[in-house]
Amino acid sequence: MTPTPWTDDTPHPLVPEETTPPPVADAAEPEGLPPAEAGLAPLPSQAEVKSEDEARQRRRLWAVLLALLLALCGVGFLFSRYVRRPEPLPEMLPVPVEVNYPPHFLFAFYDVNGPLGIALSPSEDRLYVTEGEGDRLVKIFDTEGNLLRAFAPPRTTAAERAPVYVAVDARGRVYVTDRLQHAIFVYDAEGNYLDTILGPDLTLSEYIAKHTGFKPRPGTFAYDWFEEEVHYQDPQGRRRTLPRPDRPTWAPLGVAFDAQGRLLVTDVALGAHRVLVFSPQVAAQDDWSDFQPEVWSFGEFGEAEDQLQFPNMVVVDALGRFVVSDGNNGRLSVWDAQGVWQMLVGTGGGGGGLNLPRGLALDARQRLHVVDAVGQVVRVYDFSEAQPEFLFAFGTAGTLSGQFHYPNDIAIASDGRLYITDRANDRVQVWSY
Amino acid sequence: MRKWLWLLPVFLSGALLLNLAGTAWANGGPHGGYTPTTDACAGCHRAHTAQGPNLLTATSTYELCMSCHGAAGTGADTNVADGKFVAARSPSTEGEANTADNGDLLGGGFVNYKTAAVTSIHNSDGTLMAAWGFGVARGQTANLPSSLTCASCHDPHGSPNYRILREQIAGNAVTVDQVDEGPANKDYDDEHWPDNVSNVCVACHGAYHVTRPNSAEDNSDNGSGNADYGGDISTYAHRVGMNYAYGGNADPEATGYGGYFLPLTASKNVACQTCHLPHGTSASMSTLATAPFTNDSALLRLDNRGVCEVCHQK
Ligand code: HEC
Ligand code: HEC
Ligand code: HEC
Ligand code: HEC
Ligand code: HEC
Ligand code: HEC
Repeated sequence: MTPTPWTDDTPHPLVPEETTPPPVADAAEPEGLPPAEAGLAPLPSQAEVKSEDEARQRRRLWAVLLALLLALCGVGFLFSRYVRRPEPLPEMLPVPVEVNYPPHFLFAFYDVNGPLGIALSPSEDRLYVTEGEGDRLVKIFDTEGNLLRAFAPPRTTAAERAPVYVAVDARGRVYVTDRLQHAIFVYDAEGNYLDTILGPDLTLSEYIAKHTGFKPRPGTFAYDWFEEEVHYQDPQGRRRTLPRPDRPTWAPLGVAFDAQGRLLVTDVALGAHRVLVFSPQVAAQDDWSDFQPEVWSFGEFGEAEDQLQFPNMVVVDALGRFVVSDGNNGRLSVWDAQGVWQMLVGTGGGGGGLNLPRGLALDARQRLHVVDAVGQVVRVYDFSEAQPEFLFAFGTAGTLSGQFHYPNDIAIASDGRLYITDRANDRVQVWSY
Repeated sequence: MRKWLWLLPVFLSGALLLNLAGTAWANGGPHGGYTPTTDACAGCHRAHTAQGPNLLTATSTYELCMSCHGAAGTGADTNVADGKFVAARSPSTEGEANTADNGDLLGGGFVNYKTAAVTSIHNSDGTLMAAWGFGVARGQTANLPSSLTCASCHDPHGSPNYRILREQIAGNAVTVDQVDEGPANKDYDDEHWPDNVSNVCVACHGAYHVTRPNSAEDNSDNGSGNADYGGDISTYAHRVGMNYAYGGNADPEATGYGGYFLPLTASKNVACQTCHLPHGTSASMSTLATAPFTNDSALLRLDNRGVCEVCHQK
């Protein structure tokens, strides 16, 4: 016998099905008592029907209340956990759908003086932050903002160094560009000095090895641009000097690694602003006493659409394109994998119009986060498709929580946390999706 | 009246565009040479959230300038924090460039100069108001119309003056001519000064402007504070605008004294900047300094009274 379908006048309890489906027994009841057969059963008295209905309704009410209470407890628990240890929402409740909502401010830490560049360690438990003022150190923080260590190029005073951007290779080694030293300093994860990349085809250890015939050990050599000599220890541990190498003809500014492990550097040497692409060999080497990586470059100085003015940072998106923050031209410049110019993004007005783009970071969903130093915001663009699109911007100008004062760089963790250097507010802001 | 206020930015922008179209140079700077097609204003102004005629991004002009001209050099080669020109020269432009890499900037530094911490600066972060001899006698101070920032001396929108110095400073008209600086257009570490380079200082320190020998006369705004010049050099209002060769003085640019040199203008004249640096200095004044600068180097180029020796060689 097929059960009679319900009709509109079938008496059924008002249970909000979405929140609490009625108990199975109850749900089956109307089927066992289809209206057509009702007449055959012994008729219960009016009072009995009423009290039975009431009891049933009360039971359902209780069930609903209980469910609501449980839900409330759940929300309360998540909330209190969130308050105690603010954590990105996606980590607590994985959301399967791709929604685009701006992140929110979590907290800030202040143990920094004019912070400029920022990068995460491969395990994402450490932050490396460069300082533009004060002692001009590179500082290591944990992700809660506790200062762990600080370091700087050997033999330099604060007035002789200007660390700017920082990148970390897959082995955790730290690369810091220095605008006064015209070099990239390389340290281990703890900040112990390893070597200096003096130019696209020269490192300090290579220079010493070439002149002495032996490979110097890290920690036994150093060179400061403002000195006339390179200092090193010979294998017997005696202090020696060499005449300084020829002054480099590059000016490394931005530094990053792409997914293939290629070292990307923006070079702002006078009149020749460009992007240098080093083969993955650099990050693969144990040391750099033999430094002959393949390097190619793209871009030149100027304001035409395929030229660059003070390119600050470069990233490679999932489509293999190079995206350059073309600072003083106020735009993003997109180049294909071969270094052929493709398009500009972020020109003109509207929310997506850039003022002074600096640091860049892509998240797992290919959303490019662009720190706009003068706009005092972070602008986010979708780079997952061939035609990039502006999504949203977050932050306002000021000195309060979540407000920026000439922000400069950004690092994104896979848990959805964003770390942003807020230069003139002397702090690093932590945001989360 | 209020109704028409909205016209102000429109008018000002128009005036700016008309005024500054001629002052461009290809160095990546956002100062002037604006064309209607490039959005050069965006590098300093947030157009999208403009609320009034002052569309400036943030409270601090100093931080705006330093976001390009700071030690990081993220948007300029003139690092005025350290007083260094940080453009390593590329092979393709070598020879054309006539500012040495890491050469010391002519203006001095705001944080360091010649890799030492500064001992006195024209503090441009908007906290100073009073200037020596601004309509008052030397050794006295009076408030400027507005506090001292980078934009007190420079016009970020460009200017026909040398180093985009303002045409109006503290209510006074200022002319400092542009000069030929050599093949690369700009030479930031060798002086190529016009003879009227002192004018920028005079706008705020009128009482220090003494141009006639042994006389109470000068070219300052009201002539009020200079009656003591005749025999009194105690406030070091040294005469300017004359040739260096007084009483057989050695050429401070070429000969110098004990390895120290001082710059002169195009006609070999003495200017305020012969002795002073406009941004800041790291000179030390440990042994010699008169009140009110007991330990302050008063923006002087050389330690103690070194500046005097280079010419007078006493
Ligand atoms: C290098 C940075 C910079 C650039 C580029 C720039 N401005 Fe400005 N602008 C400033 C600063 C700084 C002030 C505040 C001036 C002051 O404090 O005297 C200002 C002030 C102004 C004002 C207010 C009036 C005034 O002079 O105080 C207007 C209007 C203005 N700018 C328009 C423009 C326009 C239009 C452009 C593009 C053609 C532009 N600016 C480009 C830095 C800049
Ligand atoms: C008291 C006036 C004054 C103030 C304030 C001032 N400057 Fe200057 N600046 C000058 C003068 C004068 C020169 C030209 C120096 C020369 O060529 O001899 C100059 C030169 C420069 C130069 C060219 C490089 C050099 O040093 O020669 C830059 C860039 C510059 N100033 C930026 C700034 C910035 C940024 C600020 C604020 C932090 C600032 N200035 C504050 C007067 C001033
Ligand atoms: C977007 C970056 C940027 C900002 C912001 C900026 N400048 Fe510049 N400025 C430059 C560049 C680039 C040059 C060209 C020389 C160089 O590379 O340093 C320059 C040149 C100058 C010069 C030398 C002009 C000459 O005649 O040689 C002065 C003076 C100057 N800027 C002052 C300022 C002041 C004052 C501010 C703040 C109101 C400011 N700048 C803000 C990028 C900037
Ligand atoms: C926009 C106005 C302005 C201009 C232009 C200006 N100054 Fe000043 N100057 C000031 C103010 C304000 C102070 C007060 C600073 C202080 O108390 O240290 C000052 C202080 C000084 C001092 C004393 C510094 C000290 O140790 O405290 C000297 C020296 C000086 N100026 C020289 C110059 C020279 C030289 C020039 C030209 C290159 C110049 N000034 C241009 C405003 C100006
Ligand atoms: C020959 C060198 C020389 C020249 C030229 C010179 N000064 Fe000075 N100036 C000094 C010395 C030295 C001091 C320091 C006085 C002290 O230690 O108290 C000084 C101090 C100052 C002070 C600080 C206030 C004070 O009374 O001590 C100001 C302001 C000043 N000079 C402005 C100027 C101006 C403006 C010019 C150009 C019109 C100029 N100076 C030209 C050597 C010079
Ligand atoms: C750039 C060279 C130069 C420097 C530096 C210099 N002077 Fe002079 N000084 C001159 C010249 C030229 C005269 C002649 C001025 C005149 O004709 O009145 C002069 C005149 C004088 C006079 C007046 C002498 C007289 O007979 O009238 C005194 C005093 C003096 N200087 C002291 C100093 C002191 C103190 C310093 C250091 C703060 C100094 N000078 C630095 C070039 C210089």
